[in-house]
Amino acid sequence: MQNRPEKLINDGIRLDGRGPDEIRPIKIEAGVLNRADGSCYIEWGGNKVLAAVYGPREAHPRHLQDSRKAIIKYRYNMASFSVEDRKRPGPDRRSVEISKVSRDALAPVLMLEYFPRSSIDIFVEILQADAGTRTTGITAASVALADAGIPMKNLVSAISVGKADGEVILDLIREEDNYGEADMPVAMITETGDITLLQMDGRITGEEFIKALNFAKKGCESVYKLQRRSLIEKYEKSCSD
Amino acid sequence: MREEVVIPGCFLGESVTAGEGTFVEENRVYSMVYGLVKRDKKEVEVIPLSGKYLPKAGDLVIGKVIESTFSMWIMDINSPYEGLLRLSNYPKRIEKEDMQKEMRVGEMVITRIKEVEFPMRINLAMDDRKCAVIREGVVIEITHTKIPRVIGKGGSMINLIKKKIGCNIFIGQNGRIWLSGSDEKIELAAETILKIEREAHANRLADRIDRFIRERKKGKGKNAK
Amino acid sequence: MSEDILSEVRRDYIYRLIKNGDRIGGRKADEYRDVSVEKGIIVRAEGSARVKIGNTDVLAGIKAQIGEPFLDTPDKGVIITNAELVPLASPSFEAGPPDENGVELARVVDKGIRGSHAIELEKLCLDAGSKVWIIFIDIHILDHDGNLIDASALASMAALTNTTLPYIRYEVGEEDEALLIKDTPIATTCADIGGEIVFDPCLDEENASNIELTVTTNANGDISGIQKRGTGKIPFEDISQIVDSSRRLAGELRKKL
Repeated sequence: MQNRPEKLINDGIRLDGRGPDEIRPIKIEAGVLNRADGSCYIEWGGNKVLAAVYGPREAHPRHLQDSRKAIIKYRYNMASFSVEDRKRPGPDRRSVEISKVSRDALAPVLMLEYFPRSSIDIFVEILQADAGTRTTGITAASVALADAGIPMKNLVSAISVGKADGEVILDLIREEDNYGEADMPVAMITETGDITLLQMDGRITGEEFIKALNFAKKGCESVYKLQRRSLIEKYEKSCSD
Repeated sequence: MREEVVIPGCFLGESVTAGEGTFVEENRVYSMVYGLVKRDKKEVEVIPLSGKYLPKAGDLVIGKVIESTFSMWIMDINSPYEGLLRLSNYPKRIEKEDMQKEMRVGEMVITRIKEVEFPMRINLAMDDRKCAVIREGVVIEITHTKIPRVIGKGGSMINLIKKKIGCNIFIGQNGRIWLSGSDEKIELAAETILKIEREAHANRLADRIDRFIRERKKGKGKNAK
Repeated sequence: MSEDILSEVRRDYIYRLIKNGDRIGGRKADEYRDVSVEKGIIVRAEGSARVKIGNTDVLAGIKAQIGEPFLDTPDKGVIITNAELVPLASPSFEAGPPDENGVELARVVDKGIRGSHAIELEKLCLDAGSKVWIIFIDIHILDHDGNLIDASALASMAALTNTTLPYIRYEVGEEDEALLIKDTPIATTCADIGGEIVFDPCLDEENASNIELTVTTNANGDISGIQKRGTGKIPFEDISQIVDSSRRLAGELRKKL
């Protein structure tokens, strides 16, 4: 593990050259897997994340079935080689919690009542991690759900905000996440402004919190545009074949 | 003609009738799925580009028998939900002991969705003249959302394939397609249909398919476009 | 928190009450149930506290051990928070390893305390790289009538303020020392029921709601943890008011410590 850089922000410029409210380069591709009903691959800064959706399909075990709506399963999984120190394979407490809050972040847009007794299974694999993996995962899963043809009211977009060297910043990198003062993942339905995921680790003032939330809103708007474009591009590619 | 492609949550209009694939919020109509917009004089709908087959009463589908119980056959109908064909909905009277003789586990059956009961309990019937157990040919599977492309406007595409290849084709609404004829014809028909699925949104699809069949019949390389 | 299926009539009743500005038990929207904090009730533990919020009953115990620090923080002590939703507390709790609700509960409490820097981890270091104090916060849910997070966070904080590190027992000092506490993070939780925000939801209210927000605030008003739970969504504009109410209510709960 490397040591903390002396400064995370120099005269308003971050370690990777960004300003406080700039996002990293993001590349989103919809429909990248063959077997899955829907899928999405994202490269977001140093993150490489793959999301797959299976379903609606019969919910197993049967006692999990809900006669009024589909249930959602969400599995956030970090590949053992995705981080510097090998991660032990399998679910740990962190991934159990992330899976839960991510599932709840997508639930508000899914029209589950169309598929009673069934299950919509979302699998998110973090292949390479560089801070903001849960928000990258939610962003990818949202595209994969649309790609699978699941009825939805909208897409969900997600990004993390936080604080480092006393400044509120958008879209943290690993160093800022590790050595900064706070990390706050946010997911939103961009068009309505509704918040579907909100967590905060660390410590910030009330004023900083409001500023961070507005940064997140701006960030989600950019993410949404890229999500939409990835789906439109997938269709256009199928036309020009 | 460029088609209008939308993602879920796109605003489609006010004071229009909300058709399939859309939902209404405060009198405004939005898309509910990733798909292509189809506008009528009054109605707007979105044809999904992907998704699972959701059984509708009246649909003719191809089911696969997966279980035979004391009073019904359970069929996989390429959907999140299984179809149930009860003995009482079977066209002829048979003894329970003979159920296995009529339809064996693993067999494919053309059947009709009789009714969809809450919560998605699917009852099947054999009351259409096309309903039958499939005992020859091959059944292939494609995404059910591409079925309209295989059929084509007014049946133009499917008629083209039938005429040019000379193979019998039955299309189930659930994305399963039954092909019968000589092995050679079945193989060409299957390849053609899978090509339509793959290139469903390409320009001038009918021309492409026509050319494809002609070239394949001439015996050009297997992977000819 | 619970997967209990609430009957339709009960849900309608709760909605109706809240729409009319009323609540089960006649509480105001931002009013907590009776809160009691009892410290030091487990003598075997280094610190302990039992917190009741209405019928919800939670016991937190602190144990301290000497162990090795994490590789990446050789000069810092360790805090480990665990929550057990023991089956005696609710028919919906099952024996076995913590499920996602137990895991989330423990992590929200843990992050609230950690984020506030209430415990200076550097002060828990005895010998950098080899010997540090490991503080276990173990939360036992005894009776579940909603709002387990606030009760658990308050019990944990109360137990920490009551903790003495056993230097003599581990032969690392001449005298036992009280654990130094530098801040008092307090979690407050609200639920959205039919568009109305109510704090300290009881179990029926939780089951009638599909969204809860826990905000942990510190003595000076800073925020040291936020967690949205449930399948619903929160309008952007509502957030800052919720945080303000949380801060005010935390001030009242803090007096109970």
